[in-house]
Amino acid sequence: MTDRSLFEAQVLPHLDAAYNLARWLTRDPHDAEDVVQEACVRALRYLASLREGGARAWFLTIVRHASYDWIERHRDRDGGDGVVEVAADAESEPAHIAERRGESRALAQAIAALELPFREVIVLRELEELSYKEIASVAAIPIGTVMSRLARARALLRQSPVLHAIAPRRSGGQR
Amino acid sequence: MSGVPMNCAEAVLAIGAWCDGELAGDAAAALGAHVAGCAACRAEQAALVALRDEIRAQAPRHVAPPALRARIEAELARAFASAPVDADAPAPARAASAREAAALPRLHTWWTRERRRWFAAGALAGASLAVVVGALTGVVARHWGGDDIAVAAVDSHIAATLGGHTITVASSDRHQIKPWLSARLDYAAPVVELADSPFVLAGARVDRLGGRPVATLVYRYRLHVIDVFVRPLADAGAAPAVTTVRGFTVARATGAGMEWRAVADVDASALAAFVERLASEAEAAQPAGR
Repeated sequence: MTDRSLFEAQVLPHLDAAYNLARWLTRDPHDAEDVVQEACVRALRYLASLREGGARAWFLTIVRHASYDWIERHRDRDGGDGVVEVAADAESEPAHIAERRGESRALAQAIAALELPFREVIVLRELEELSYKEIASVAAIPIGTVMSRLARARALLRQSPVLHAIAPRRSGGQR
Repeated sequence: MSGVPMNCAEAVLAIGAWCDGELAGDAAAALGAHVAGCAACRAEQAALVALRDEIRAQAPRHVAPPALRARIEAELARAFASAPVDADAPAPARAASAREAAALPRLHTWWTRERRRWFAAGALAGASLAVVVGALTGVVARHWGGDDIAVAAVDSHIAATLGGHTITVASSDRHQIKPWLSARLDYAAPVVELADSPFVLAGARVDRLGGRPVATLVYRYRLHVIDVFVRPLADAGAAPAVTTVRGFTVARATGAGMEWRAVADVDASALAAFVERLASEAEAAQPAGR
């Protein structure tokens, strides 16, 4: 198999997963595109280290690295990790996502507001549905740390004020 | 009911794993037994399931925009363009800018393909061009002598990074790491902390390299993990100062009677300077008369 067909067969199918991870980590649609493109360049370079069956976790590992590099480079621009610009996020959302109920944005906000180590495990687990073992491999942490970070991330989400706003809205009908 | 009974603290952790489909066998049974008799943990379980369902139903899983796909396709087309790219162009100094770094895989792929063509044709001209391109990408050494240790070091680095087991003893204090290593090796590996450096000592582990256990010092450099394999010079043969194996940089230096090999996804010049500094500081820290 040539490098190109290997890349197209093994890596390209995970482009959505790559973009989703980069988008959640960088919190910006355009930066996520740049990060994924950079990750593809790196993936081509490391193609020889790709092992049978592990393409998704392998590619996401590279995407995560590229995202962290991007975050490091743009730390000053964003004024640290704590600031979330959800407004920009909402504008550029594709129609099918924007159509969802307002809760969706609240929950997205709560996740986007998590610190990076917690945000990434939640995205990898709940949105990409990776196993603990895969998350450990992608995030370069032991499985025990995957468990404790997930537990902490969930505790934070449950404490989040935006989530508390959801409950009465749902039980109270329309708004 | 089977296994050891669970208390609430254990159950709370286990509930998370259970929600994620990661709990099986005795542990799952023990959790089931605990939850059956504990209203608080039952509520916790219900809350976590609700949160999980809520996230999956409502947090957007972003889909790669068509424009991005097009960019990647274009990147691929460029990378695998059939015509050799700029074969006669003067060699840029070192890939420093992001743009040059991005061009490397293209060059490398092109070179790999060209190399095959030359070998098939038995052309000699390839050798000299290989030197030029190899100097650019740093891969030439591997194809000259087959630097097996560099390859083994990179394998070790990848296995540790992907497996999440980069560090067995986590410490930024060399006085903790050194005795830990000495207890596990038949030589005393120097451990160096660099003051005022972005390369921060994070810990160590023991790997096998060239059939023998070796000290692996782990440093962090920004968001990169760097493995530094330290072994007696007597065990090591000659090798190039900088090599690239599967996209990873391997930089080598000698000092304090040791061979120092750093492996990382880091720019070659930065890694080479780092490993040189490690070796020379170790050399300087040696007791006099040795």
